[in-house]
Amino acid sequence: MTDPVHVDPLVTETADRLFSEICGHEAVQLAETRGEAPEIWNAFADTGFPWVSIDEAAGGSGGSLLDALEVLRVVGYHAAPIPAAETGILGGWLLASSGQELPAGIVTVVPNGGSELRGSVSGDELTVSGRALRVPWARVAERIVVPLEVDGQTVVASIDVEDCHVEPMTNMAGEPRDTVDFDEVHVPVAPTESGIDLEAFRFRGALSRAALMAGAIEKMSQLTVSYTNDRVQFGRPVAKFQAVQQHLVWGAQDAALARMVAETAAREANRGAAQFEIAAAKLIANQAAARATKACHQAHGAMGMTQEYPLHHLSRRLWSWRKEYGGDAEWTKWLGKVAVSQGADQLYPLITGGSANFN
Amino acid sequence: MSELSEEQIRAELDLILERRNADTRLTTMGAGSDDLNEGRSYLANTVNGGWHVPTWPEEHGGQDASASHNARIGRVLREFVVPDLYPFAIGLGMVGPALLTHGNSAQQREWLKPIASGESIWCQMFSEPEAGSDLANVALSAQQDGEEWIVGGQKTWTSRAMWADWAICLARTDPGQPKHKGLTMFALPMSLDGVEIRPLMQMNRDAHFSEVFVDGARVLDRWRIGDIGEGWRVAMTVLAHERAGGGSRGGGDGNARGLKLPSWIVDLQGLANEQSGAWRNQVANLYAHDATSRWTSQRAADEARSSGSPGPAGSGAKLRSVKSYKGRSYLTNMTSGAHGMLEDGHGYIETMTAPSMSIRGGTDEIQRNILGERVLGLPGEPRLDRDVPWSESRRGLI
Repeated sequence: MTDPVHVDPLVTETADRLFSEICGHEAVQLAETRGEAPEIWNAFADTGFPWVSIDEAAGGSGGSLLDALEVLRVVGYHAAPIPAAETGILGGWLLASSGQELPAGIVTVVPNGGSELRGSVSGDELTVSGRALRVPWARVAERIVVPLEVDGQTVVASIDVEDCHVEPMTNMAGEPRDTVDFDEVHVPVAPTESGIDLEAFRFRGALSRAALMAGAIEKMSQLTVSYTNDRVQFGRPVAKFQAVQQHLVWGAQDAALARMVAETAAREANRGAAQFEIAAAKLIANQAAARATKACHQAHGAMGMTQEYPLHHLSRRLWSWRKEYGGDAEWTKWLGKVAVSQGADQLYPLITGGSANFN
Repeated sequence: MSELSEEQIRAELDLILERRNADTRLTTMGAGSDDLNEGRSYLANTVNGGWHVPTWPEEHGGQDASASHNARIGRVLREFVVPDLYPFAIGLGMVGPALLTHGNSAQQREWLKPIASGESIWCQMFSEPEAGSDLANVALSAQQDGEEWIVGGQKTWTSRAMWADWAICLARTDPGQPKHKGLTMFALPMSLDGVEIRPLMQMNRDAHFSEVFVDGARVLDRWRIGDIGEGWRVAMTVLAHERAGGGSRGGGDGNARGLKLPSWIVDLQGLANEQSGAWRNQVANLYAHDATSRWTSQRAADEARSSGSPGPAGSGAKLRSVKSYKGRSYLTNMTSGAHGMLEDGHGYIETMTAPSMSIRGGTDEIQRNILGERVLGLPGEPRLDRDVPWSESRRGLI
């Protein structure tokens, strides 16, 4: 695998063009009504984008993690209603890391690493039971991937969706977050490569959300700038009013901030240890999302609250994503503990040097 | 009616209303109720004693109560079951008080009692696609034709339009005047030929909001409220009552005088896995803000009732109650953790509704401008279109 520092510009351009063509306001709205978007998924899958960063030898599309996260940023930017992270850098990664086959269709992952599930190993057979909550897009997945800690080792169950019971549920954005029941499902035992455990999965999940959120905040900020320049009240575009400009500045700052931390985390993760950068990226993205949605909604006025205008596709996704793979409290605590354990003298080196500076 | 003590009021209300379980909330926040019957039967029960709008004249469904007596009734009324009056709120809280100021006696006789009794529902046809914060830019036109006015144009963000019998409607009657001067207020029956309602779906899936298209509807001159060209003044009265009424009654769940925890804090405690110091700090701040907000709103409402014309205090009250609502919904959502992102999670409706609170009924920016200009005496926002005929200024001056 290569170790690039920059994203291939062709990735951004191609993904952006693809979604610009097929993922407009009506398409996203329709996906919410139907609970799926097969046209968008199929077009996305045809490009091979879902499997970027997974080795071609393992059935992936090759490319770096940096490229894969750039694709996710573009997915977030267009509010694309597809399980891109689940199929690729989360589920696909777990399957590849445990030497299992990548299916041709949609893959999803039990988000909290199966902590509500029970796994038991008998010989070379793994049995999974219990109920998993908030599983993204389970209803349209081909396989549900469950990372589990059993007898001190991390194993990955790749479960046929036909072998579980899926109860539809949705998040605030109207995206599927289903309840899945596993009743003694038997699969082969597949241990992961060393270093790939539930903790690594949790960080990777946070990294995926930070990338999606950076894209969504950026689009939200751009929509707001353009709307306030078009909208005339009191004889001038509302963007000419200082009070509105302040909202625009918040939106733009948060877009820049979220993108910068997501890219820093992506770069470090692509290189190696990145826990500190990922924790910071998710926390900062969460906080930026709260501020930016507030500012962008306020600058839009009533229009932004209607289903007919696209702002809600982004704000509702951000409110949902900020709670996945760690809300503010979880990452604040994690970062606090790390800072305290390193000691006061190490605080500045930790902030500037990041994960490379602690162990 | 002579002024009754709290005990006497309680005894009277016991005859017509049920006591409320003190642990339940007074009203559902966020999306309004679809049930017209509960509110209607409550209002029908209370109208004869004048209990819901005590400051109104007795003949119109009130009891000529003073501001202090009204406040006393309000306190006691909190002990009883009051349904969500969302469908009736424009008539009760805004149109009614404005009619007492600007309506003639025939109009007061025709419209006030049915508002107080819940018989008729009103909506407010003010905003238009090009007239939101800049309300004086309304373009919907009314042209006089003998004893009638021919009305045409489009309104938007009209809450409750699909239930309404009447609308209070701001129209442009003289495009040659500067924008604030060529406006006139009308009452418009929603059943008139030429009035068409199209619901707008909001992001919280509430569809109580509509666009209203008016094409050649004929409105009688006797339905005009106030003089021709005085529409802006009437509109300001209506809006001042909206702001002043924002937090006046209801919303005060929990116990204002005792030490019992309000139900929203009890709910939050139930959601919290861990009540850390930082979390408790947030709850305490919110509680303090909430209490201040409630008292400020109450004071603004009482002042408005005693003076008959609400002042800028309502803008402060609105800003505070919005901050309170948003703070609670945010904290509830954050406290409920990952489950809070689901549609069946705690605070889902409130989270989806929260941004609109700073927009509806006059944005935060508009309220701050009012406070800046009328309370602090700051220089006014430059108004480029002040002396320009509306027909010239409407397309924008810069």
